[in-house]
Amino acid sequence: MRTALALVLALCLLLSGCSGLPTAREMGDMALMRTMGVDQAPDGVEMTVSTGPRAKGLQAEGEKALVLSAQADSLSAACLTIQGHSDSYVFYGYVDQLLVGEALAQEGIKPVLDYFARDEELGLGAQLWLVRNGTARQAVESGGEAGVDGRLSTLQLDGKLGEASISRTAGEIYSDLMEQGAAFVPALAVGELEDASLTESGYGVWKGTRLVGYLEGEAARGLELLVGRAPAEVLTLELEENRVSVRVSMVNTTVNLGVQGKTPTKLRITCRADLAVTEYDQELSRAQQDAISRQMEEKLMDRLEGALTALQQWEADCVGLGLRGAALHPRAWSEIQEQWPVWFGELEPDINLQVVVHE
Amino acid sequence: MAQKKQAEQPHPRQEPRFDRPLSLENLKEIFTGCVDFMERTVYLNGDRQRTVTVCYLLGLTRNERLSDYILRPLAQDRSLSQAPEGELFSLLQYGALYNLAAIRRDKLDDVVNDLLLGSCALFFPGRMDVLTLPVPTEEKRGVGEPENEPALKGSRESFVESIRTNTAMIRRKLKAPQLKIKEHIVGRQSRTQVDVLYLEDMADPETVKQVEEKLGEMDIDGLEAAGNLEEYLADTARSPFPLMAYTQRPDRLCQGLLEGRVALLADGIPLGWMVPGTIDQFFKTGQDRAYHWMVASALSLVRYFCALITVLLPGLYIALVTFHPEAIPPKLALSIVAAKQEVPFSTIFEVLTMLLAFEVIQEAGLRLPSPIGATVSILGGLVVGNAAVEAHIVSPAVLIAVAIAGVAGYTQPSQDFGNALRLWRFLLAILSSLGGLFGLSLGCAGLIYHLARLESFGVPYLAPFTTGTKMPRGHPSLLRLPLPRMKWRDGAVNSKNRRNQR
Repeated sequence: MRTALALVLALCLLLSGCSGLPTAREMGDMALMRTMGVDQAPDGVEMTVSTGPRAKGLQAEGEKALVLSAQADSLSAACLTIQGHSDSYVFYGYVDQLLVGEALAQEGIKPVLDYFARDEELGLGAQLWLVRNGTARQAVESGGEAGVDGRLSTLQLDGKLGEASISRTAGEIYSDLMEQGAAFVPALAVGELEDASLTESGYGVWKGTRLVGYLEGEAARGLELLVGRAPAEVLTLELEENRVSVRVSMVNTTVNLGVQGKTPTKLRITCRADLAVTEYDQELSRAQQDAISRQMEEKLMDRLEGALTALQQWEADCVGLGLRGAALHPRAWSEIQEQWPVWFGELEPDINLQVVVHE
Repeated sequence: MAQKKQAEQPHPRQEPRFDRPLSLENLKEIFTGCVDFMERTVYLNGDRQRTVTVCYLLGLTRNERLSDYILRPLAQDRSLSQAPEGELFSLLQYGALYNLAAIRRDKLDDVVNDLLLGSCALFFPGRMDVLTLPVPTEEKRGVGEPENEPALKGSRESFVESIRTNTAMIRRKLKAPQLKIKEHIVGRQSRTQVDVLYLEDMADPETVKQVEEKLGEMDIDGLEAAGNLEEYLADTARSPFPLMAYTQRPDRLCQGLLEGRVALLADGIPLGWMVPGTIDQFFKTGQDRAYHWMVASALSLVRYFCALITVLLPGLYIALVTFHPEAIPPKLALSIVAAKQEVPFSTIFEVLTMLLAFEVIQEAGLRLPSPIGATVSILGGLVVGNAAVEAHIVSPAVLIAVAIAGVAGYTQPSQDFGNALRLWRFLLAILSSLGGLFGLSLGCAGLIYHLARLESFGVPYLAPFTTGTKMPRGHPSLLRLPLPRMKWRDGAVNSKNRRNQR
């Protein structure tokens, strides 16, 4: 009896507010934010948040997306200011798209990632996008009444399916920055026309926490090859009396670091690319297959070298070549890890590319 | 002094009930005012010097038997008038009467009991003993199908109100002399026969002893309902969870006996109980052994899953929607927000009200005759539910959550266990509305603590999932293995012989 009484009293105490119990909040009064854009502002940061299209009531038509913006000294202050701008309780627990303006990316991304990691509603599971030559606010507002959330979700899904650039979460980028000192992030460009949506624009590369440059075009495809991802494109090759469309269906890239004592000597990259012939005018002959193989080998090698050259120039191993290559030399790696960016910039890469054509 | 002390007790027990000399006069005095008490004096083979008085209770005896097997030989058998006076009693007891049994009684109490059980009593002038002959009526409900445990693939027999019919059904299935059936009389006024059944070479003697001791200690006026037995034998007052599994099916009771459990049957109640009751018993059905093991295992998992759903879902809904919305998938959250916008009540109020409404509709459906009950259920469930959603009084998500929880509860084979889960569902919903997932976790911990404290006849209630008995399990409780692999009886039952097949 005494035990039961003590338990009941303890329960009453816990549930009466003398504890760290969460606060009840009705979901009907919430504005669920889906996208957050962060830019640099003269006084600190500018935050722009947007919901997706919202349903009003059960059978009513969808309401237009709610976009709210505020400038403040810090991200938490901006969040609080936005709260004051809304009729509903602004809930950030569903923010799964994070856009970062170029100016802020050049200044440093770490405070943003830190804030996402620490905040109880936000999390590092959000997809991170870099807005190239523009601000995150422009990108968020480019979604119009429907919101930008749908477009970003499509890009994310396409990226996972290999139909678009590699999409990355804030957590992946944060851990890359911590482990490798560099990270790549998909970049988006805001269309200039009024109704233009966001378009892919290569990858931005962070070294430390600052943006050092962009990989675009062939170099961006080269980065995808280095990561081991088949680029989302179909290439058309002109052969003798035959026009062929080819798609890289699978890529397998392995890295081996040659180490002598405490000195890295070689960066051997072996890349196998499987090509699928998607269209052709005539049945492919053996000679034509060889020709495809040669042309593609040349093209892919250019891409790999282009990407590697840029990364080495920035001394930014954002794809983790060192870590992957050093798997067989853990002791040597622990010695050279600190100086790896310098080594990476100086090492002569030895690329071995193998192309296999499947008709 | 002892009698006085006993009389001062609030509910004094009197053994024997009628402590007087055995005589026809005393018997008639006991049954004074009983219109169904009958007596008839018969001349033995027409000899007016030799008479015998037949007493019986009208309606409890079968007239044809009494007339043909008792009265006709008494009236027509010549040997009865010619036999020496001293041998007459023995002659009737050992052969002159065609009845299956003839018992000599020399205590008034025994004679009264025999009459109440459907015997007739023969009083001989000048003798201090009586011959009682059981001629009970066989008016009873026929053996029907078990309505609560329907069989798609198996026996369609169900227990009936007559305990002897029930024991006969068990005997027909277990043709082993090791099956012991011991009778106890429970209830001062009802004098209900309660039989303890067990297989002598399998059941734990300690459990048998405990059951018999508890039955012996039961001192109640009458045993009219199943609860009389359950609440007196098992310590159920502190817990809504049933501690004795019951069944309507003789085949399932036989399976329990073969597992080494002790069974109980009570006259007038068409159910059989199996003890000790462990939690896995309440998730099993009589059909588990009839289906393919994969199907039976899958269904078993579904039942366990549904038990979790029914007890946790309303609380989980409250906790997630009110306290932890970030844990809800975005698309679901958006639809919940949209549905909730025009509802004037809080989620907590909605869920608790809907749970209560669900219980009200269910109770109303049960209390009414079945055609009206079905109408009430349809009217309450569909029409009122739909109207409430359309009028934005409740949100559809709440309705769905409560309905799923309710329907999941119906998958429980044991109604008693399902009812206990219903009670805990309310408690967990209230705790969730106070503390979100923290409150729900606290409630779940309380539930596990509560279940872990329960025991049924010395066996931990959670025995199949714990090592409390320090005995190895027979086989996994969540799954039903192929029968050839189920070679061991469950260790928790403390069976004398654990191996059940070669």
